[in-house]
Amino acid sequence: MKDHDNAAYPEPPRKTPVVDKQTSVPNPAVILTNLFYYSVDVPVSKFKGVLDSIRSNNKSVYYHQKFRRIPELTDCENGDYLCYYEAEMQWRRDYKVDQEIVKIVQERMKACYQREGSSYKQNCVKEIEQFEETSNNFQLRYGDLGAYASGRKCLMKQKERMMADQAQTS
Amino acid sequence: MVGMSVLRSAAAFAARLSPLKSGNNAAQLLSRIIPRTDKVAVRFGGGHGKQMFVVKSTNFYDRRFLRLLRFYILLTGIPMAIIITGVNVFIGQAEQVETPEGYEPEHWEYYKHPITRWMTRTLFDSPVKDYEKMMAAIHNEKEKSDMRLTQLEVSRQMRMKGDGPWFQSKTPNKDLIHYGHKSTPDN
Repeated sequence: MKDHDNAAYPEPPRKTPVVDKQTSVPNPAVILTNLFYYSVDVPVSKFKGVLDSIRSNNKSVYYHQKFRRIPELTDCENGDYLCYYEAEMQWRRDYKVDQEIVKIVQERMKACYQREGSSYKQNCVKEIEQFEETSNNFQLRYGDLGAYASGRKCLMKQKERMMADQAQTS
Repeated sequence: MVGMSVLRSAAAFAARLSPLKSGNNAAQLLSRIIPRTDKVAVRFGGGHGKQMFVVKSTNFYDRRFLRLLRFYILLTGIPMAIIITGVNVFIGQAEQVETPEGYEPEHWEYYKHPITRWMTRTLFDSPVKDYEKMMAAIHNEKEKSDMRLTQLEVSRQMRMKGDGPWFQSKTPNKDLIHYGHKSTPDN
């Protein structure tokens, strides 16, 4: 009874040992899993099967929208408000995409933690490192911009960061 | 015995006075049952005792409020619930596929749920059109702002140089000046 197999979060191969029962006492874990299977899993799957057969002739699809890249705020002439608007819209889309990226990395780390149990500090190092890196970069770039964040404010923040770096190195 | 004779005479007297009253029949006079006041005849006694008039504050207004609340919520709630359940059961959600080559999907084909798709198809403008509307508004404002700036610059120049049509004040005609009183000096 395998749950859905998501290729984005591949589970590590199961390391359950071969069952070598030496007593005749029934295993309560097996009893409980079977109970759960027959009382919850089977009815739910049957219901889903029924609904799928009802819906099979009305199948529709949806696509992922891809936007063209537009010259950014730094490539706009002064006073060209149309260019400003397009750059601002592109910055907002990128902001949303970056938020979702951080969420996905965070989910990977949480899944890894859930899988490993008490040995997460040892086995989840890569996921934790990736999450720390992405969240740090996100904070640096979009961190304290606030609710009225815009492309201009982000650009100014970048300028401040570059100035701080320059002041530090020189 | 004497009392009994007094009673009998009183009964006979009462019968003579009001013969039509049902209890005054001679045969029934002294054999009437004496009313006993310690036991009362209770109707609908059942097993739970006498019905009491309980004095409590009214809950008519509370119950009316809850009745009306339920009515007005369910008035649109039930059709909405039926429609949404029907859509989810009979028209399922869409599945995501790769965009085929050279095909540009309509703007409603980017959404998953059938009700969202219907709304963006029939009620709302496509995001492309909204974008273009916003760009048109920005372009209008930009043109207005540019015109106002040029007007300021032009008026500044005209005021400075004085050779333009603005900032000219009307002076009277040269021919109207009367030089007569100046033709003879030392007037």
